Amino acid sequence: MSFRHLDRYAGVPSPVTRLAPSARVLATVVLALAAALLPLGAWPQMAGLTLVVLGIAVAARMPVRVLAVRLAPPLVFVLLVSAALPVLVPGTTVAHIGPLSLSDAGLLRFGSVLGRALPALAAAVVLVSTLRFTELVQALRDLRLPRAVTTALGLAYRYLYILTDEVEQLQRAARSRNAGAGAASRRRLLMGIAAASLGRSFARSERVHQAMLARGYRDGIPALRPQPMDRRSLSALAIVCAVALGIAWTAHL
Amino acid sequence: MAHIPDGFLSAPVLATTTVASAGALALAAHRSRQQLRDRQAPLLGAATAFVFAAQMFNFPLGAGTSAHLLGGVLVAAVAGPWVGMLVLFSVILVQALLFQDGGVTAIGANTLNMAVVGAGVGYLLYRWLRLLLGEGLRRRVLAASLAAYVSAALVGTSVAVELALSGTVPLRPALLAVGGSHLLVGLGEALLTGGILGMAARLRPELIEGAPVTRRARRWAFGGLGVALVVAVGAAYGASTRPDALASAAGSLGLAAHSGTWRPLAQYSGAGPWGALLGVGVVFVLAWALFRVSAGRRPA
Repeated sequence: MSFRHLDRYAGVPSPVTRLAPSARVLATVVLALAAALLPLGAWPQMAGLTLVVLGIAVAARMPVRVLAVRLAPPLVFVLLVSAALPVLVPGTTVAHIGPLSLSDAGLLRFGSVLGRALPALAAAVVLVSTLRFTELVQALRDLRLPRAVTTALGLAYRYLYILTDEVEQLQRAARSRNAGAGAASRRRLLMGIAAASLGRSFARSERVHQAMLARGYRDGIPALRPQPMDRRSLSALAIVCAVALGIAWTAHL
Repeated sequence: MAHIPDGFLSAPVLATTTVASAGALALAAHRSRQQLRDRQAPLLGAATAFVFAAQMFNFPLGAGTSAHLLGGVLVAAVAGPWVGMLVLFSVILVQALLFQDGGVTAIGANTLNMAVVGAGVGYLLYRWLRLLLGEGLRRRVLAASLAAYVSAALVGTSVAVELALSGTVPLRPALLAVGGSHLLVGLGEALLTGGILGMAARLRPELIEGAPVTRRARRWAFGGLGVALVVAVGAAYGASTRPDALASAAGSLGLAAHSGTWRPLAQYSGAGPWGALLGVGVVFVLAWALFRVSAGRRPA
């Protein structure tokens, strides 16, 4: 169990990976925000934002095929959730599919939801493909998220592998006993495993706490490789902000 | 769809929900730090990892359906509401940034729904139900289970309201689709929360100790129950006599576009206060009986 497949392009030297992680996270948020600010039916602007993200992906040496493959699952999810919109939203009926009538207002919303989601999702995919988890935590810390959250994320990343290994052991033990045949007993078994891992993770947190105190832990966990915002990252972020918000602004003219 | 993707919410809704959840999280970070001091970091890390791992399980619920745990009430019941909110926020953050599950811009809205309403309000419900139900392992588990159900329903409602305020879907179909599906999701969540908490508490009873139930607190809790019943009956009555109340409220918020087609609760008109009281009472008794039965079947 690992997230190795996620940040496959984090180690690839490129103009994108050279920037500070906090700048990259901020740029992703700005791109998603610009997409969210687009009004219904702003098709050229939606295409423009998608092209900007594609440009960043190319700059990060990320093959477009990989981007497409990674984009597919979340995009299919958005498609499924928004599929009901043409039917649910009242408006002038433009087409019929069996007993369902599709309204123009609903279709407009359906297309706009997809058009806004595409650049935002693509930006997030490019971000995580080029960013290690530790860098993400560091970026969130630089962006002044509550210490509690960033420390929790950093530690959770360490615990998660241990916890999934433990869960796999418990499941293997259950399989070797032929436990959990049938839905009801399988549910009971899984609940037992979940309950055991709940107890174990809290017990572990206490042990780790003792160990941290024994090693002189006071408050906060220092960063091993701080990557502060430098001038290059700042200017790149400014360019992305200007382009993205400029595109969003043209939609409101 | 508890995780709202990008593109579904309008800018004012995104801004409002982000500001609201930022405030709630700042409070949660502050309070949990006061409570836990240097235990905060390892506890939060462990709880976050647990929620991640628990959400990977697919629990079969029978009839070919399965569900995964949301975990808000479970973590809040074990580690307190502030830890619960922070943990759920961490999970939402990673799901949005790493797995594109829920939008990046919708992090604020999703946090408000799942962390603040799901875990925070869910914990309040849990505390209240614990006072109503009294001491004992089974009663605590039952309280957590009921709180998990109501909290899931509330999460669905707040998702629907956010979608409606954004002008994506009118309120009524949104409530029916999202709120209705969460009434079903809540069943799974209640079953899993109760089951896991019950088993975990049998392994480590100190996990769900919490503050002792005092007589004074119980009196307050029952007083609250009375007020809640009066408000529920009053709201049901008000909705049945003036079916446009919600629509006009939405209209004054600047959402005139759909208000003409909204008739929430219009099917109740003409039932009167006794009909409303009866409806509220029937739902209450049904829910009570259902959970009494399901709690009683569990071997102690």
